[in-house]
Amino acid sequence: MVGEFKMKKYILNSFIAAAILFAAACKPEIETPAGTTAGQANFSKYIAVGNSLTSGYADGGLYLEGQKVAYPNLIAAKMSSVGGGAFTSPFFNEDRSNGSGYLSLSALVNGSPTLTQVTDKLAYRDAAKHLDKYSSEIQNLGIPGMRVDLSFDPTLTFSAANPFFERLLTDAQVGKTNYFQYIQGRNHTFFSIWLGNNDVLGYALNGAVTVPGDPTTVLTDKVTFSSLYANLLNALTAGGQKGIVATIPDVTAIPYFNTVKPSLLLAAAKASNPAAQAVFIQTGTGAVRVATDEDLIRLPFQSAGLFGQGTIPYGLHPLNPIANSWVLDKDEVIKVKDYVNSYNSSIKSIATSKGLAIADTYAYFNQVKAGVVVQGIGINAAFISGGAFSLDGIHLTPRGNAVIANVFIDAINAKYGSTIPTVDVTQYRGVKFPDSK
Amino acid sequence: MKKILLSVLLSAPLWVLGQGFQVNLQGQKQIGMAGAGSALALDEASVFYNPGAVSFLEKNSVSAGVNPLLFKSAFKQTGSNVTENVKNKIAPPFEFYAVWGPKSNKWKLGLGVYTPFGGLVDWGNDWSGRYALTSLNLKAIYFQPTLSIKITDRIGIGAGFVYNHGDVNLQRALPVNFPDGRSGHATLEGTGKGYGWNAGLYIKTLSNISFALVHKSKVITKLDNGTAEFDVPGSLRSSFPAGNTFSAELPLPSTTSLGVGIPLSQSTTLAFDASWVQWHIYQDLSFDYASNTPALADTKSARNYRDGSSFKLGINHQASEKLALRAGVGYALSPVQDGYVTPEAPDADRYILSAGLGYTPTRHFEVNASFFFEDVKSRKQRNIETGLDGTFKTLVYAPGISLTYKW
Repeated sequence: MVGEFKMKKYILNSFIAAAILFAAACKPEIETPAGTTAGQANFSKYIAVGNSLTSGYADGGLYLEGQKVAYPNLIAAKMSSVGGGAFTSPFFNEDRSNGSGYLSLSALVNGSPTLTQVTDKLAYRDAAKHLDKYSSEIQNLGIPGMRVDLSFDPTLTFSAANPFFERLLTDAQVGKTNYFQYIQGRNHTFFSIWLGNNDVLGYALNGAVTVPGDPTTVLTDKVTFSSLYANLLNALTAGGQKGIVATIPDVTAIPYFNTVKPSLLLAAAKASNPAAQAVFIQTGTGAVRVATDEDLIRLPFQSAGLFGQGTIPYGLHPLNPIANSWVLDKDEVIKVKDYVNSYNSSIKSIATSKGLAIADTYAYFNQVKAGVVVQGIGINAAFISGGAFSLDGIHLTPRGNAVIANVFIDAINAKYGSTIPTVDVTQYRGVKFPDSK
Repeated sequence: MKKILLSVLLSAPLWVLGQGFQVNLQGQKQIGMAGAGSALALDEASVFYNPGAVSFLEKNSVSAGVNPLLFKSAFKQTGSNVTENVKNKIAPPFEFYAVWGPKSNKWKLGLGVYTPFGGLVDWGNDWSGRYALTSLNLKAIYFQPTLSIKITDRIGIGAGFVYNHGDVNLQRALPVNFPDGRSGHATLEGTGKGYGWNAGLYIKTLSNISFALVHKSKVITKLDNGTAEFDVPGSLRSSFPAGNTFSAELPLPSTTSLGVGIPLSQSTTLAFDASWVQWHIYQDLSFDYASNTPALADTKSARNYRDGSSFKLGINHQASEKLALRAGVGYALSPVQDGYVTPEAPDADRYILSAGLGYTPTRHFEVNASFFFEDVKSRKQRNIETGLDGTFKTLVYAPGISLTYKW
């Protein structure tokens, strides 16, 4: 009897011990059916060609935090698991990390934001506001302000005039090269190109007014765009490289043009002066008329301190309308959209003829405009609260970059049969809100 | 000028109940048989499994048991190469029963205190689904006084009143960022109560095959005056007022079970239970905040559960006078439809495996142990409301032990 009792106690003990050990050891596993592969692509040396979006420009400036989360940098980090190599970028130094300076949200009172320029730890090397040079080899070739037409700048002067380009060049190159020459000879195996936005935005951001002598406010001719874009792709695929191109978002999909609406202006005016009847604008043709919400007013108008000022209240009387350069009127919107559509059909057809992947950011930003939910985060095109756009209303937050990186990754994987892992969007922030009231 | 609207932050659901929250651990002997046994007058746990069988128990008894439960869930975002796991936290479902009645009389009184619903999931504050959920600790404790009557030598009925004490603590990150980049955080905490009943019929046929029909009613648990704390940047404080409270309703579903007990020999019995869990009552989840702001509206989230069900087969073998051995298998169908799977209850159809043993050293004492394992099938989902897109896989381990004193 005693023996039996001991034996059963032993059975009981071993039973419990085995159960606990088993439980501790067994973790659930989730298989990835596709495995890990670069597919038909070779990611060992990736270069990113583009403008401010590619450089990581955000909040109206280029600064280290934004550079680190630029979408090409996020993509490159994920490529490392499928044969991607190192990816170098012209980062500002840690002690001069605020680069060109940028906007921060310093207060939010009753929903009205106060934006303040960050002025410490800047990276200007002289009083003429030249930025610190970066001379090592780089793969993030994004240059704020770069355009398709100016990539071929025959005067070669844009390389001196654009401080973000100038900082990447040796003294011997400044004023003696253009972007098309600059991006070549880099022995890349894979490339991305998201260029052309400024060929229309430069014009639109100036209220569809081209400033004489300022090539950054020109609207690039459609045929010119197409042929220059083909030249870019010819150069980038000269060694048979694979790559991805991106389309140009609709300008009305960004907070810069969809935040300050005539109806909101009028409501604000009526709150202080019930006699206010309508908001008046000067259109591109010089005509003065009542504004509707089809007329887009530029974001900085919000803090320009003009509206309703003066003995003839600014913007509220036909004799003192909102100036043409503040407004993308509805006819200008139609014109700008037409150019974007034309550029995009060129981009897509040239890319398709070369067998390249296409990140359709035009289509994606239209979805964002309507609102998307990504991994529990509501994202839309609203200024500040939308989470995707930074405080300049044009460029992306880290969260926006992560979302766009996945648009590129999905398109690359779909085209080349690769399995670049996607970026975890939840690890990247939206706009930083001040902690004080 | 332009108001900042943050309502999107809270349009996402705050919690959901699933099969994953039904805890099928209410008696060590039945657990050892995968949860079958409503048609067996096995022991005092019949207060839960079938009040109608309680009057057929030979002895009076008290028992207490616990099943430390390890809920191991993993998640991999669609397209990602990173698998994330919940933290190892042990939930303690427990059960306490007492059964008493005058010997050789036709009735018995019973009391059960047990935890039929609950969940303890902690994904941590940095995981990729944190804007849907970071952690949940949900407990429902049922108190059930019961009367069971033997109508004939072969038929027993019983019924009990159920009082539920519910506790919930639910946390998630909010997609607003502080100046240092960290996210906001919401914590909802509260207690609630609800009422219901549990009734059963037990029939022992002449062939000694027994049948059971048991219905456990739904228990609508109301939470009032729960605390809703929002850790957000100061500039958003007016949108998320401090000291806010909320009320909500948790519908815990009714379950109808049919059981069969088949004696295979003098010492071996087979038990089969089929249960139908009426989750369809869970159509939406609403939160009513005491203070509303444009950013913090009351929410009503669609759940659209269908009914769930389970099938369990167990065997009890009396190896010797003092030693009993048990084993069981089962399968449960999830009530959660595609598009509604969430990290608090990453639910899917599941397999159940169990084993158990009982040891009776003396006339008065009994020790029972069990091991319960659930393999919840891997499920790739994109949640309609939160957009959380990925694959969940869950394994559940619950060893258990109970002590019984009989007289």
